[in-house]
Amino acid sequence: MTGRKNNRIRGHVDALATGFKYLAEPNRMTLNYPDESMNLKDNYRGFFAVKDKTCIGCSLCEIVCPPKAISMLDLTDAGGKKKKRPMIDWGLCIFCYFCVDICPTDAFQTSQVHDKAFYSETEYQTVHGEPMQYPYDYSKRPDYKEIYESFHDVAPDDPSAGSKKVVPKFDKKRGIKYEHPGQP
Amino acid sequence: MAYEEGFSIEKNSVEGAKMSASQDRATTANLTYDELAGLKAERELVLLIGPAHPGSGHMKIKVWMDGDIIQRVDPDIGFVHRTTEKLSENRLYIKAIPIVERVMLPDTINANLAYVIALERLLGIEPTPRAQYLRTLTSEINRITSHLYGIGLYGIFLGSSTVYMWAFADREPLIDLLEEISGARITYSYIIPGGVRWDLPAGFKERAETVLQYMEARLKDYEKIWVKNPVVMDRTEGVGIVSKSDAIRLGITGPNLRASGVDYDTRRAKPYAAYPNLDFNVPTFSEGDCYARLLQRVEEIEQSIRIIRQVLKDIPDGRIISDDIYSKMNPLQKRMYEMKHRVMFPAYMASMRPAAGRSTASVEAGRGEIFFYLVSNGDKVPFRFRWVTPSFLNLPFFTHVMVGQHLADLPAIYGSSDYFPPEADR
Amino acid sequence: MIQILSLLVSVSLLSFIEYILPPILYIIVFPGLIVVLLMLFFMIWLERKVAAKTQLRFGPLYVSKRFGGVIQTVADLIRFSFQEFIIPAGADVFAYIQAPGLLMAFGLLPLIFIPVGPYYANIFPANYSLLIVIPLIIITPIYVILLGWASDNKFSFVGSIREAFLVISYEIPLILSILSMILLYGSVNAINGVSFQIGRGIPGIVLNPIAAFLFLVVMIRTTGRFPFEISEAESEVVMGPYTEYSALFFGIGMSLPYIELYSFSLLFSVLFLGGWWPIVPSAAAASGVVGGLLLPGLVVFIKALIVMAFLVFLRAVYPRYRIDQAITVGWDQALYLGFAAVALSIALVWSGLV
Repeated sequence: MTGRKNNRIRGHVDALATGFKYLAEPNRMTLNYPDESMNLKDNYRGFFAVKDKTCIGCSLCEIVCPPKAISMLDLTDAGGKKKKRPMIDWGLCIFCYFCVDICPTDAFQTSQVHDKAFYSETEYQTVHGEPMQYPYDYSKRPDYKEIYESFHDVAPDDPSAGSKKVVPKFDKKRGIKYEHPGQP
Repeated sequence: MAYEEGFSIEKNSVEGAKMSASQDRATTANLTYDELAGLKAERELVLLIGPAHPGSGHMKIKVWMDGDIIQRVDPDIGFVHRTTEKLSENRLYIKAIPIVERVMLPDTINANLAYVIALERLLGIEPTPRAQYLRTLTSEINRITSHLYGIGLYGIFLGSSTVYMWAFADREPLIDLLEEISGARITYSYIIPGGVRWDLPAGFKERAETVLQYMEARLKDYEKIWVKNPVVMDRTEGVGIVSKSDAIRLGITGPNLRASGVDYDTRRAKPYAAYPNLDFNVPTFSEGDCYARLLQRVEEIEQSIRIIRQVLKDIPDGRIISDDIYSKMNPLQKRMYEMKHRVMFPAYMASMRPAAGRSTASVEAGRGEIFFYLVSNGDKVPFRFRWVTPSFLNLPFFTHVMVGQHLADLPAIYGSSDYFPPEADR
Repeated sequence: MIQILSLLVSVSLLSFIEYILPPILYIIVFPGLIVVLLMLFFMIWLERKVAAKTQLRFGPLYVSKRFGGVIQTVADLIRFSFQEFIIPAGADVFAYIQAPGLLMAFGLLPLIFIPVGPYYANIFPANYSLLIVIPLIIITPIYVILLGWASDNKFSFVGSIREAFLVISYEIPLILSILSMILLYGSVNAINGVSFQIGRGIPGIVLNPIAAFLFLVVMIRTTGRFPFEISEAESEVVMGPYTEYSALFFGIGMSLPYIELYSFSLLFSVLFLGGWWPIVPSAAAASGVVGGLLLPGLVVFIKALIVMAFLVFLRAVYPRYRIDQAITVGWDQALYLGFAAVALSIALVWSGLV
């Protein structure tokens, strides 16, 4: 590719022929987003929630959070016990997963949920994946299983809800092909 | 003031017409200095390109024109300045990783790597060999995406939307590869002191090979429709020439420097990561024009493909995190690491206090050399956090190289230098 | 008595329709306004779609998804019509407002003088059609220059100056190209040109390929297709002369190159592609609206459509030239090609080969 000398006519013909080649055999890379959406990989860094029973309230996640999206809340348990639990502001979170990785008890439940629409600013702020309300009524907290499901069952506020899920597959000729997992 | 000075079209002004008529009659010898300056101003056209101009990027380029020839260029940078240095000086060491990534989004791994190398030198930690190879691997994949980004934007600067779309579409498989490793698409935060955060997933080598073969096949089409396109050659050959001595004198860096014939690559001059163990060429071109800079990027993509193949072949087994960090993990985290090959942070990450001292690091990023300078006074936050980004060093392309060229060459030179305003502004 | 009267009325009505309808058809329907509008919608959509296909994407899709987004341009037109029309403070208001209208008028005028069927001869005086078409095509860019001048914007100004330079450098090759065909056909009447091609059985592009190529290049230049999209170069001068325009007036500026493209392509298919060949209407059929205007017109239109499709496809292949390079091509290679085309025509006529 280093050669500079080039036949001009050959250059024009090559350029036009390449254009025609792609016009005849379009290799489309577009993902028609609201109609199709990608099945994200297992290790995708999506929304996460705190497992309340595992969390020990050590505040390491708050300390390490680069955008300061996590702040520790002083909460009172149903039994009157005082606890510290992280509150996550999704408006600030950059999904670096420093908090997930630094947790000494692995108390964060991660998910591959990436598309989530919020209807109000207060919805950003969650404890255990539950929208934060002031004052936070700790006795009404859902248990961990519900939280986890709330991330996977995001139909009402997921813009890609109802879309065809596709899996990107690498291809030698086309780069990326989007395949429907249901298809053989 | 800038808007008024030098704007010569006074079509509605009777006084203006009279004045210019009287000036025509007078000989320049009898004119005072101010009158001469006025005459010059009538010839001059000052164009303010940007910051809201399709061809400016996040900056304002003030151009003084005489006819179609550029007389002077004043790049007004700083529109996307993010105070990364001051931000980082007020945060824990670990928190600077996402910050340095955000200024150079096409090239995040390299920014991350440069900072972490400087930090490791401050801490006295040495990453494991496997981590070194993984750093090289991600860095090279990132370099290809960065060069594709540059080639694509060069396409839209010269008017070829096809190359723009192609390059951005072809970043997708490479970004997907990095997503497989790190779980994110652009801001990976992959490299941490002591190693990297995730190991290669199963079957990664085969998938990477597929993508590399695809890239190689596509480069042939790029050559036909873009690199060897006669119109592209007309637009770029002999335009914006930077001679070898000028390139050194002006402090130009990266592919732009090598396109001027200077055989300098940080990967070879100051080896880091796994580069000393790898066999690769540093392509150079002697012409130093826009076309050489375009070819330089294409050639470097080919070299990066070669490096990735070697890395995938030679990558040693072992831990991806150094013993210093591994030994600080708690038993649960160690178990997690053995199970999932995923590095959990020991609490040490949030309380790193490097001994007082200073360290530097140089990394060859997509656009050139990133230089880091860290000073620690033994505190939890850096005492001084200083970094020089390659785009900032490439600013002479505006102030020196564009002068004397046509107005239409401004985007040609701008695009060929692959100048990225957020990176320069930091 | 009544019978005679009704007969008289019906006869006069028939003849009235016969004499009045074709010109109306010609101006209003084809190749005039309605087809121009449809062509605009289709062509802009086609350009985006063709470019998108080459560029690994879909292009306009979501407006009428079943038909591949074909009415996207209509949606754009509706958007343009509801936008605010802004007049910049420093603009020359009168010129600023009138220029797009004049531009449109002069962009459409050449269509009347390009014959799309033998019946045309009965409607308009076609004897000097080529001589009239040339100045009408060349005069349009003057209003582009006016646009840029009136806008009081430096980018508009630079863009219009570029347009002026390019117009001057390419009008002589255009005239030479058409002149060589006039010499070859021995007539300034385009209908005679077509009958010449049909009579010899050889299209003009084979007779004088140099002139055809030159005409194609000038066509790309005048209609601002790539690689000669110079006066509106986005990364250099924003939108060129149209920078300050908004709303429908911007829409006019945007659609004008396509109208020019249309008239140029019609002219190209008449001059070089054998016009309405293979449909050769008999004298009787040629006097009817269908046989004399619509059927031959359809053939010419399809040929023009193919030419247009090729030219809009160039967007997907080429970047743009620099202004001085384009001017050099105009004054240097294109001019020599023009002389060569004329020389070839003279040689052909002289030698009696055609």
